[in-house]
Amino acid sequence: MTTNSATGAPTGSIYDLGYRHYEGERHGRAYSLYSLYLESLRSIFGFGRSASAKAWPLILLGLYSLLAVLQLAFSSIISQAIQQGEDIGLATYANYFEGLWILVLLFCVAQAPELVCRDQRYSVLPLYFTRSLHRLDYVLAKVSALTTALFVVLMVPMVALFVGDILMKQDALQAIENEWPKALPAIPACLWTALVMASTSLAVSSFSPRRAYAAISLFAYVMVYWVVAEIVWAVGTEAGWDWADKPQLFGPARSAVGATAWFFGDQLPTNPGLSSSLGPDAYLLSSLTLVLVFCGILIYRYRRLAA
Amino acid sequence: MAVIETVGLSKHFGPVRALDQLDLAVEPGIIGLVGANGAGKSTLIKILLGLLPATEGKASVLGMDAARETLEIRKVVGYMPEHDCLPPDVSATEFVTHMARVSGLPRTAARERTADVLRHVGLYEERYRQIGGYSTGMKQRVKLAQALAHDPQLLLLDEPTNGLDPSGRDDMLDLIKRTGNEFGISIMVASHLLGEIEEVGDFLLAIDAGHLLQSAPISHFTKRTPVLAVEVEEDADKLAARLTSRKVKARVEGGRVLVAIEGDSVYDAIRDAVADLALSLVRIEQERGRLEDLFKVPAKAPAKRKAQ
Repeated sequence: MTTNSATGAPTGSIYDLGYRHYEGERHGRAYSLYSLYLESLRSIFGFGRSASAKAWPLILLGLYSLLAVLQLAFSSIISQAIQQGEDIGLATYANYFEGLWILVLLFCVAQAPELVCRDQRYSVLPLYFTRSLHRLDYVLAKVSALTTALFVVLMVPMVALFVGDILMKQDALQAIENEWPKALPAIPACLWTALVMASTSLAVSSFSPRRAYAAISLFAYVMVYWVVAEIVWAVGTEAGWDWADKPQLFGPARSAVGATAWFFGDQLPTNPGLSSSLGPDAYLLSSLTLVLVFCGILIYRYRRLAA
Repeated sequence: MAVIETVGLSKHFGPVRALDQLDLAVEPGIIGLVGANGAGKSTLIKILLGLLPATEGKASVLGMDAARETLEIRKVVGYMPEHDCLPPDVSATEFVTHMARVSGLPRTAARERTADVLRHVGLYEERYRQIGGYSTGMKQRVKLAQALAHDPQLLLLDEPTNGLDPSGRDDMLDLIKRTGNEFGISIMVASHLLGEIEEVGDFLLAIDAGHLLQSAPISHFTKRTPVLAVEVEEDADKLAARLTSRKVKARVEGGRVLVAIEGDSVYDAIRDAVADLALSLVRIEQERGRLEDLFKVPAKAPAKRKAQ
C-alpha cells in the first residue's frame, strides 16, 4: 500500500483507510448457489474446520477404501494365486459397494446431519433466504454437495481397484486398454449411488435440528428397512408370497446395489444378493423413485421451514 | 428518494392483523422502528425482504418493488436477525466470507470485505477463533458484520442490542451510529426500547398493532421540556419538600426529583438543598421529552391514514 505524498500525509505509518464501499462485480443467484455448494462440500470433509471435524470423514473414507487398497498392495501375490488357478473372492467394480455399503451409510450418518441440521439448529437459514438464494437453490446446493462428496468416496476404491488390476498384468498399457471398458460403468454407477444415498440422507436428516437425532433416525431407517425387507423376502419365499421380494426395492441400500448391477449389466447377469425375479431395471426404477420422493420431501420441507 | 415506502400495506395471519393499512415513506438516515412486541416490526422487515408476501398493499425498498424485485433488493440490503444465527464451529472470518460470497461477491473481494468489516465492528485477532467461544457482544458484532459484508445501501437491524449488557449495548449503539453516519448506509433499527432509538436514530417510526402511530424526526420528540431531573441515592421526597419550601417547583417522579428551570437560581437552590440535607447526589441533567409519552397518548396519534 503506497501513500501519496502529495496529500501531505506522513509516510510510513499505518492508516485507518476508513470504510471503503464495494464497487466491484456482484454475481447473481447461480453464483450464490455455487458458493453454498462449495462451502457445504468443504464442510463435509472438514476443510476450514477443526481437526476433529476432518477425522471422521477421512477415517470412513479410509475404511471404505481399505479393501481395495489391500488388494492393490497385495496385487503381486494375488496375481500369482490366480495364475495357479486358485479361486479368491476378489472385490470387483460391480460388487464393491454391495459388500461395504454400510460404511458409505456411516459416512452419510456422520456427515449429512452436519449439512442440514446445523443451519436449522443455529438458525442460519434466514441469512441464506434473505440473500440471493431461493429455498430450492438451498436444497439443490446441499444435495449436489453430498452427492459430490459421496461420489468421491465411492470412486476412491474404484480407482484403487483399477490400478491394482493393471499392476497384476504384465503389459501395463495393454492392460489399461483391456481394463478401461470394464471399469467405465463404475463412474455412472457411483454417481447414481451417491445421488440415491445423498437424497435419502438429507431428506431424513432435514427433519431434526439435532444432529444426533438426525443421525440415529437415518441409520435406523436404512438399517431397519434393510433387515425387515430381507426377512420378508426370506420368509415370503418359503411361504410362497409372490410379492416377497418387492419391499427390497425401496430400501435405499438395496435399490442402489440393484442399480449398480444395472450399470454393469452385461458383466453381471445375476447377482446373488438381489431377487432374480426382479431385473436390474426394476432396481433402477425404484432408486429413481427414491431420489424423486426424497428430493420432493426436501423441497417440501424447505418450503415450510420458517425463515 | 425514499429508502422505504409502503402504501396501504397489510399483512393478516388468519384473523390477526399484523400490519393494517400501513403507509410509510422513509428518507435516508438512521430510522428507528419502535413498537411493543407483536406490533408488527418483524413482519414489516420480513415483507421488505420478500420473506413474506403482503396480504394487500405495496412495499418498495430503494425504489424496487418488494414483491417482484426481491433478488435485486436483497443484493443491496443487509439483514441482521433478532435471534442467534451463527454456527459455532467456524471462525468469524470463515463465516462472514462465506456469507459475502453467497451475497454474490467474488472470492478475493469477499475476503477483503470480510477483513474490512470485521475490523470495523471491532473484532481483531479473535476473528480467527471459532464463533462458539465468543461472548454475546462479539456474536452481535459478527451478526452485524455479516449484514455489512456485501456493502449494502440499507441495513435492516432487528433488535440489535438483544441480550447485551449495558456497556455492550452502548458499544453496539455507537457502532450503529458510526455505520449510519460515516459509511453513508441507511439503517432501519427495530427495537422495543425507545431509549435506544432516542440515542441512535435520526427519524422515528412508531407502530402499534400494525398501525403507524408516529413518524417524525427524533429531535421533534426529545427537545422540549425545561425540566431538571435530580437523582439522589435516597430521600427524594425530603429534597422535593425542601425545594418546594424555597419556592422552587419540584415534584418526585420515579425516585427522581423533577425541577422546573426558572432562571439560574434553581441550580443554586438544588445545590444548597442537597448540601443541607447531606444527600448523595447522583446526577443532575436536563430532562428531555421522552418517546414513551408517545405511547401514553393514543388519541394523539396522527397516523397518516390514507383516505379511501
